[in-house]
Amino acid sequence: MGALLEIENLQVEFDTWEGRVRVLDGVSLSVNAGETLGIVGESGCGKSMTALAIMGLVPRPAGHVTGGSVRFDGEDLLKANEARLREVRGHRIAMIFQEPMTSLNPVFTVGDQVAEAARLHLGLTAAQARRRTIEMLKAVHIPEAERRIDEYPHQFSGGMRQRVMIAMALVCEPQVLIADEPTTALDVTVQAQIFDLLQELRDTRGTAIVLITHDMGAIAEMADRVVVMYAGRKVEEGAVERILGEPAHPYTRGLLACRPQLKLGPGAVRTALQEIPGVVPPLHLLGRGCAFAERCGEAMPRCREQFPGESEVGPGHRASCWLLEAPEGRRAA
Amino acid sequence: MSDALLRVDDLKVHFPLRKRSLFAAPQTVRAVDGVSFSVRRGSTFGIVGESGSGKTTTALAIMRLVDITAGQVDLAGETFSALQGEQLRTARRRMQIIFQDPYSSLNPRMRAGAIVKEPMQRMAIGTDAERDERVRSLFEQVGLRADQAQLFPHQFSGGQRQRIGIARALATKPELVVCDEPVSALDVAIQAQILNLLGSLQKQFGLTYLFISHDLGVVQYLCDEVAVMYLGRIVEYSTREALFENPLHPYTWALLSAVPRMGRRRKGGEEGRNSRLRLEGDPPSPINPPPGCRFSARCPFAEERCRTEEPLLREIRPGQRVACHLVRDDGTVPHRPAVL
Repeated sequence: MGALLEIENLQVEFDTWEGRVRVLDGVSLSVNAGETLGIVGESGCGKSMTALAIMGLVPRPAGHVTGGSVRFDGEDLLKANEARLREVRGHRIAMIFQEPMTSLNPVFTVGDQVAEAARLHLGLTAAQARRRTIEMLKAVHIPEAERRIDEYPHQFSGGMRQRVMIAMALVCEPQVLIADEPTTALDVTVQAQIFDLLQELRDTRGTAIVLITHDMGAIAEMADRVVVMYAGRKVEEGAVERILGEPAHPYTRGLLACRPQLKLGPGAVRTALQEIPGVVPPLHLLGRGCAFAERCGEAMPRCREQFPGESEVGPGHRASCWLLEAPEGRRAA
Repeated sequence: MSDALLRVDDLKVHFPLRKRSLFAAPQTVRAVDGVSFSVRRGSTFGIVGESGSGKTTTALAIMRLVDITAGQVDLAGETFSALQGEQLRTARRRMQIIFQDPYSSLNPRMRAGAIVKEPMQRMAIGTDAERDERVRSLFEQVGLRADQAQLFPHQFSGGQRQRIGIARALATKPELVVCDEPVSALDVAIQAQILNLLGSLQKQFGLTYLFISHDLGVVQYLCDEVAVMYLGRIVEYSTREALFENPLHPYTWALLSAVPRMGRRRKGGEEGRNSRLRLEGDPPSPINPPPGCRFSARCPFAEERCRTEEPLLREIRPGQRVACHLVRDDGTVPHRPAVL
């Protein structure tokens, strides 16, 4: 079975004052229908840039896609012209952004903004689009949708605005939904509601979801498969059980150990918090070696000289780390 | 209790709302509405709740950064809330705050060293040479190099900026440090660095923290006692062990079950959605809150009594207090969801 969305060897570069910087370097990933793929990593790892590249929204003129392919339903979107991209964007592939406060236009009603995509892509009349919009607002559990459709974004709370964003993204029933940190600005209780909603959509409509996040807890709850990114490269990929249970890359292990995990029930004890020292290096200073070597407790001289290839560590579970090829074999997590 | 550094007694902060018309009834935002707790010296006290629960306003009122409507705040036996003028100014050095956003809480036009030095100058602590020396030692204590004091805030990363904020808060040798979501604006991998730093500084200097957070994982990691706030009131007030082993209030359940956890796979479909305690809607507004229990409108278990009679915070067992009619005196609660 072919994947619905397949990215191969994607390369994106940016012109900066420091010269040309490679922000995505050979990223490959795929999503099947009805599947949730989690992309995880710190800020500056290329998670959001991957999403923008899929949508053909790499900022110009500074950004350039310099290699690779983005195949959606067999078609290479990188070769498509702007008119074709406009047909796909918002219709077949939709995106929800991190900031529900700034992603809605304050001078149009919520209804206008949701209906726009329906009129544009589905060719509905104003009356049809309005009916469809009310249906969508109800689907994302906005109470009194018939009344609230005529309200403006400032009359909605943060959680409700994010629901409107989701309604906007889903009004054309896209096959792929890219959610870029959809709950970062929200309370935990509201985050749980949004996650429920995304899951409901996946279960009932078979929408493929790409969930971009830095929270391993969110990954654990939502994702089927996980891609871990660091400094513009994919460093590990596998089924969620493998990534959480047997992480192969030191960075993945660091991400798992550095967040205090809530423990409930009798005998709940605090686990030690391990830090990943340092910060993500500036991309223009990356050498030839593994970008994580400077922060890695297990780095060897070889790590700084050459980027490791992908090793297969289990079924569908791959990671790029020299430790996996070291003579003593893989170290226990 | 003799070892209580901070005692807060029936604290209220109300903000009058501008009338919409001349004849409209006056409205009041009851941001904090009768909050009492005490913090032991050298311990960490956590306040958790959704946005709008009044947790930050409580901290600001304690620090006298917003006006107190009613109630009393004692710091080491002294009535801090009654101090005025010069006395208040002198006493302020005993309480400092670390802000949430390390980007907007540092003056971009001041060098890092000057930022850390400023509170000591304002409060006329030591000679200039002593202040410079203290800036140097503070920089090292928070994990920065002393020569970095010459740099401007934009030359630091987010985690380093938060270290500057911590150094500034420690400059006047405060007894109480209020941490208002000190890690929520930071990258995941950096959060651990700052949390560990806060922990080791506490051990080293015997600091007392009032820790405001919405992240229950962080609260469990750092806090000794925790108050859960909802719409300006404390609904549950427990030791860390009691709260996470045996949470009693339905709102606490809802908060806990909303946190994504590793090792808990979310089940698809109706069954998965029912396995957690879900709250519908958003928190109601603290303007003229409903009579009875403030949580009753969103509580799936609310009874008639909850809507008419406001539950008081009462002790169920040592170290565990809850404000809920449903909790029986022996500490058993009906409806407790299985996921907890």
